[in-house]
Amino acid sequence: MISIKSFTFRYRGATEPALENIDLEIPRGQFCAIIGANGSGKSTLCFALSGIIPHHFAGEYSGIVRIAGRELVKMELGQMAGLVGLVFQNPFNQITGARYTVEEEIAFGLENLGIPQDEMSARIALALQQAGLVQEAHRSPYALSGGQQQRLAIASILAIQPDILILDEPTSQLDPVGTREVFELLARLGVSQRKTIVLVEHKLELAAQFADRVVHLNHGRIIADGKPQEVLGNPRLRLQGVQPTRFTLAAALSQEQAQLPSDRTLPVTLEQAIGFFR
Amino acid sequence: MQQTTLYTSTDSPLHSAHPLTKMMLTLAVLVTTAVLPDFIWVLAVYLFMLIPLAALGRVLGKFLRISLMLIWPFVLSLLIIQGLFTPGTKILIAWGPISVKQEGLMLATSYSSRLLTWLGGITLLMLITRPDRLMLALTDLGLPRQIAYIVLSALQIIPRFQTRAQVILDAQRSRGLETEGHLFHRLRMLLPLTAPLILSSLLELDERAIALEARGFSRKGIRTSFVQLQDSPLQKLLRWILFLLSLLVILMRFVGWIT
Repeated sequence: MISIKSFTFRYRGATEPALENIDLEIPRGQFCAIIGANGSGKSTLCFALSGIIPHHFAGEYSGIVRIAGRELVKMELGQMAGLVGLVFQNPFNQITGARYTVEEEIAFGLENLGIPQDEMSARIALALQQAGLVQEAHRSPYALSGGQQQRLAIASILAIQPDILILDEPTSQLDPVGTREVFELLARLGVSQRKTIVLVEHKLELAAQFADRVVHLNHGRIIADGKPQEVLGNPRLRLQGVQPTRFTLAAALSQEQAQLPSDRTLPVTLEQAIGFFR
Repeated sequence: MQQTTLYTSTDSPLHSAHPLTKMMLTLAVLVTTAVLPDFIWVLAVYLFMLIPLAALGRVLGKFLRISLMLIWPFVLSLLIIQGLFTPGTKILIAWGPISVKQEGLMLATSYSSRLLTWLGGITLLMLITRPDRLMLALTDLGLPRQIAYIVLSALQIIPRFQTRAQVILDAQRSRGLETEGHLFHRLRMLLPLTAPLILSSLLELDERAIALEARGFSRKGIRTSFVQLQDSPLQKLLRWILFLLSLLVILMRFVGWIT
């Protein structure tokens, strides 16, 4: 579904490349979490996968990025919305500013894609329900709280129903319950509709629980790629600016204190931690 | 967030009318009052057309308040300037070389009544028409979507700009910047506010452009609309009547039936 080969990108005016020599294949239906410290290239990867790079941000671009077999450089940005959905961190800036109610805000993308009105209404109702915004349908997008605006940004993209969802820290303003709901929704979409999900997230415990795969970026390069436990079950993550999960740290500490052999894989989820300590 | 448009949400026959009908009505008011010769006729449009319409639209209080509040500075300056400087023979009051002439006051009254009716017509349109619905009607007529977007987003950006300016001011104040005091000092304090305000707004604009792209704004091809504007044969007929009436008034003026 997503194929990146020898991809390097340097923003105009920057001295160092934001991403360097990236090779990544993400099959259809996979839930892939991207982790890394600030400035490691996570957002740049999201922009590259959604065509914003190089169509919106100019710079030095080499390598090939393909989505569903189509090379993004050769596509027009307007064509990509139906194929790849992009949600980014700041919810306020994702409000179009041209719509007066939440449901009309969600309709904005559907109108641009020429979705017939009946289908549009059904998709909006579904997106409102998925994002937990049914009560807010007729309110102004600007009257919503930060968390609700973030859910609105997600709902606006969900309604477009793209095959691929790229989400760059979409839960930064959500409370723990709201965050978990978004993760559960994404996991459900992955299973029921075989959506490919690329999620940038700092909340590693949730990423570990829900993602099929974790890619660790550091200084623009992939330094680890594998199943959540393989990548995240490493107390040395901290050295690369990523805080390991509480389960990994507790297990590492107990291993050290009890002077146990350190060849056991460390847990990254609650279930794994229970198994580890048992 | 505070409201930047005059639109007043309420249930009335005028609110549910097609935006183009309301726009045509306003255009007819503007054209007619520009052409009518006597200020009494012009005032009659305000009194016997706009005021009853505002009452029908259940916005009479706001309509009177806004249109009268907007007009008085113009009336005052017109009366002074035209009264004192328009050449004339009928002197009403004289203080040495300065005199107020009747011709000047008549001219000021004529201009003021026209201005009042124009402002009233536009105010009424804005009070009873949602800006997004008006833009939708105009894009249906062929106005480029980009222009409609710019108009609508600008209306919502103004309060955002004010909020952001307040946040920056608070941040600067909390670090000891004196923003109170006499006028000159306050004006000088605008400088440190300007740079962060403009830079942060530009960054926001860039992100918003990305968000629009993510939702297919630049996509070529057929577009649909979630909101369907309600129209009727009667309203279409009314629009044509208003259009022809405006044309007729202009023609009458040029032919010389109205002088």
